[in-house]
Amino acid sequence: MSADARVNNEPGFVLHTYPFKETSVVAEVFTRDHGRVALIARGARRPTSTLRGLMQPFTPLLLSWFGKSELRTLHAAEWQGGLLAPQGRALMCGFYLNELLLRLLARGDAHETLYDRYVATLEQLAGEAGRSDYERATYLERILRRFEKNLLSEIGYGATFDVDADSGAPVQAQVRYVFQPERGALQASGQPGCPVSGQTLIDLATDRFERPATLVEAKALMRTLINHTLGAKPLYTRQLLRELTELTQ
Amino acid sequence: MQPAALENLITALRVLPGVGPKSAARMAYHLLQRDRRGAEALAGALNHALTHLHHCRLCNNFSEAEVCEVCASPNRDKRQLAVVEMPADFNMMEATQSYGGLYFVLMGRLSPLDGMGPREIHLDRLISRALDGVVEEVVLATNFTPEGEATAHTIGELLKARGLKVSRLARGVPVGGELEYVDSGTLAQAVRDRRTV
Repeated sequence: MSADARVNNEPGFVLHTYPFKETSVVAEVFTRDHGRVALIARGARRPTSTLRGLMQPFTPLLLSWFGKSELRTLHAAEWQGGLLAPQGRALMCGFYLNELLLRLLARGDAHETLYDRYVATLEQLAGEAGRSDYERATYLERILRRFEKNLLSEIGYGATFDVDADSGAPVQAQVRYVFQPERGALQASGQPGCPVSGQTLIDLATDRFERPATLVEAKALMRTLINHTLGAKPLYTRQLLRELTELTQ
Repeated sequence: MQPAALENLITALRVLPGVGPKSAARMAYHLLQRDRRGAEALAGALNHALTHLHHCRLCNNFSEAEVCEVCASPNRDKRQLAVVEMPADFNMMEATQSYGGLYFVLMGRLSPLDGMGPREIHLDRLISRALDGVVEEVVLATNFTPEGEATAHTIGELLKARGLKVSRLARGVPVGGELEYVDSGTLAQAVRDRRTV
């Protein structure tokens, strides 16, 4: 076995697990230096396995594995500590992040910046407790929008928000635009695309999400961009949240 | 080339979780060669279960009658309703002999990334079950995995909004646990969930 086939104590998170054979699981993990990796955790579903409680999403781990095929073999996982799991509504947002990473990242591409951003985002999600309902909702929205924007630019689908794609001039705060995923911001004159105000585009470019109208428009715009990148298959987490909203009414 | 009947049997056995073509073939040969009576009993039991087992109207667990034994029992405290994920969890709760209320078995958990949503775990049925006017407290006994926590949170919010008392199983250091040997994740949660004495 060559030296590069063995990886030791790599910081990472489980994104999702699938049962595999009688007692094992396949874990899709997101690691700092190796990106998304599929690991088989042998025996992780046995009642006495120490891996059993560890191979869960939102748990900071140090992972060691070997192998060169698409499916690597996990040989050790250790709880890294220091991070509390998100709860309640924030936990749902955590699943959404994981689904985005699963769907949008290719296996084996390292994204150190995105990994650090993911850890910071999980920390922020876990820190939402103790806020009022409205505060919490907008707090979570801001966290998600920042993460979506970073994710898209990290995987090469970053958009320029504050430049008029027709004229190359800076976007004007008072003007209405439509945003087309392929081209960018265009002054609105009946063409298709996601309608958005100039102010929202400027806020998005500068990472400012304090204005309520910005949050609403940014959500629709990021959704358009993500759907464009994902293709036809919808996101499960989004569908689940929609069904839950129906039950609440 | 194998006879079609054997081929069919092997294919049929592969519906079992964790059974691939090799295991299925091994099972088929064993049943046909070594244990024909066992095979007959298996076929009979499968058929019987398929025609006679349904979900209990009240708790959603498997039952031969419309309402299962536990739900029909007069000795049960009808004011408490424990929500568990699977029948195995129900059995475990019963084995503790510490809970005297009724149950609702979700037959799954909310798992967004597996496409398990509110419909798949019968949340609408749980809501109408919990709102029968007799239930006063709902005990959330789903797993302490992220999926189980998400399920508990969701059910909790839905039922609290409808005026029910909702509680969640406590979590922390196991009985007989020594801090030195407890896994750090559990200990961290126990610190977070500590209670005033």
